[in-house]
Amino acid sequence: MKTLVLGLGNSILSDDGVGIRAAHEVANQLSNPQVTVVETSAAGLSLLDSIVGYDKVIIIDAIQTEKGEAGQIYRMGTADFSCTKHFSSPHQINLVTALELGKMLNLAMPQEIVVFAVEAEDITSFSEKCTLEVEKAIPIVVKMVLEELVS
Amino acid sequence: MKKIMIDPITRLEGHGKITIFLKDDGSVANVYFQVPELRGFEKFCEGRPAEDMPQITQRICGVCPEAHHMAATKALDDLFHVEPTSTAKKLRELLYSAFYVTDHTTHFYILGAPDFVMGPDAHPAERNILGVIGKVGLELGGAVINTRKQNHWIIQTVGGRPIHPCFGLPGGVSRAINEEERAKIEEIAKQSVEFGKVSLKVFDDVVLKNKVYLDMVLSDTYTQKSYNMGLVDKNNKVNFYDGKVRVVGPDGKELCKYAPREYLEHIAERVEPWTYLKFPYLKKVGWKGFVDGKDSGVYRATPLSRLNAADGMATPLAQEAYEKMYSTLGGKPANYTLATHWARLVELLYAAERLLELSKDPEITSPNIRNIPTAKPDEGIAIVEAPRGTLTHHYITDERGVIKKCNLIVGTTNNYAPLFMSIKKAAEDFIKPGVEITEGLLNRIEMAWRPYDPCLSCATHALPGQLPLEVTIYDAQGNEVKKLSQGV
Repeated sequence: MKTLVLGLGNSILSDDGVGIRAAHEVANQLSNPQVTVVETSAAGLSLLDSIVGYDKVIIIDAIQTEKGEAGQIYRMGTADFSCTKHFSSPHQINLVTALELGKMLNLAMPQEIVVFAVEAEDITSFSEKCTLEVEKAIPIVVKMVLEELVS
Repeated sequence: MKKIMIDPITRLEGHGKITIFLKDDGSVANVYFQVPELRGFEKFCEGRPAEDMPQITQRICGVCPEAHHMAATKALDDLFHVEPTSTAKKLRELLYSAFYVTDHTTHFYILGAPDFVMGPDAHPAERNILGVIGKVGLELGGAVINTRKQNHWIIQTVGGRPIHPCFGLPGGVSRAINEEERAKIEEIAKQSVEFGKVSLKVFDDVVLKNKVYLDMVLSDTYTQKSYNMGLVDKNNKVNFYDGKVRVVGPDGKELCKYAPREYLEHIAERVEPWTYLKFPYLKKVGWKGFVDGKDSGVYRATPLSRLNAADGMATPLAQEAYEKMYSTLGGKPANYTLATHWARLVELLYAAERLLELSKDPEITSPNIRNIPTAKPDEGIAIVEAPRGTLTHHYITDERGVIKKCNLIVGTTNNYAPLFMSIKKAAEDFIKPGVEITEGLLNRIEMAWRPYDPCLSCATHALPGQLPLEVTIYDAQGNEVKKLSQGV
């Protein structure tokens, strides 16, 4: 099975870089030729370009929820975002719309997409480091992704 | 006093909050537009080698990294007092043209087209790219995806990496292209020219042939008579990569034309107590508040303003499209905000034609891609046109080339004042006493800001990667009386 691990984020904007940092670590600990690890700041249609042709995609990203605690990790499927799929983003389309578009255009879409999201604390300060609790979450989310890959 | 909030918050993205205060009679009292500040960028850059700036600055923005990479690379040329080779300049412009094709394509089909193809009052469930493709056809949908994909291949091939290029160096670029790559770029450029023509035809069929839409484009609600800014070449034609910044008034008269090194003589920034944003304005005219007209220093830096500020396009098909646009809109300059979508498509065609020209240039495969700098660095300033407006990078370093100070005026920043004014005018015109505030009405207010496609704090990847919209209406006592929400 051709699998893609996609770390999303901005590597110089504190906790916004958690997905990139985690994906980098996954790549370091992995030696499976069937798995590709990519770090990207892409969104919307560019995300669609990245995932076409893979059977399974694991996305690692930051998230901010109303009551979440920094460093908390959520494992989600795309269905968790289905309520948002018909609304456009400021510049792009969201993940679910991108997937729907891919199906509409008969592109080779992944059968399964799993999202690991890490609750962020600071996403507006320029820094190459994450905040303390998010930093602590990185090895945990890396382990979860590695387990997901063998499941 | 009632309060309406348009509060587009994704879970990570910069909050762009529009708050509309109503009078007791239901008409608009005032409008505020706020975004949070990204902190510490200057400090982050201080003490780093200037050569890192093309890599660092392109990470500020998730939407137009290529524009920052290009501005930073040109600022390094200036900083190290080195002129790039002719081939290096052409390769940079080639990559930049491919980037414009992808960016303008994305904007038009994702953001611009749904309002017109599906209609401004269409349900949000249909007013999106899926609805557009459903109506205009799968073939066009495939062309959108393919044009972006192919031009991203050019960016990756020439720039060394997808999304974040790594080829800009002071005095040139890091890699030449070979004949095989050149031939493929030429083929992609030809397809992109065709795609540009098709996109203008879509606009023609959907917007121009529909009197209701054309009237909306020409309506006073979406009209703003501000100054126009854009980079021009020596013939005053639109140029994205290089040239001088020309500013033309709402009456079409040139106010000034300046080289990057002179930008501080022409641009100042206004600070308001209610927002972190700074509002740039034209020093020569002065800040007169959030008003348009030639006595107000407010200017726009958008695809439309670039066309208004220039005397034409440097490629034949884009020039034809340029002339058609102005003859339809009743001459130059055009001050119709919604015509920005049209101008963007003229620019898309220009970018594709320029890409084709450059791909056929006999020098483009030359290995002579860099002049090595020998002078001591001190200060570097450069300007390019980012898709969302004129982009200025300014660095001061010590003699080792370590950053002491940096200042950036990013594309969207130029447009903060006019953007705010466009929203306010639309809100005032649509929200009237006794008029029910519907989704369609709010969308018409959003349509005033969509042509600018503002980059607020661009973490566009953020989950769930969309823009929830919440509108809350408060009565005079601050009690919530109605709430409309989409995707929250």
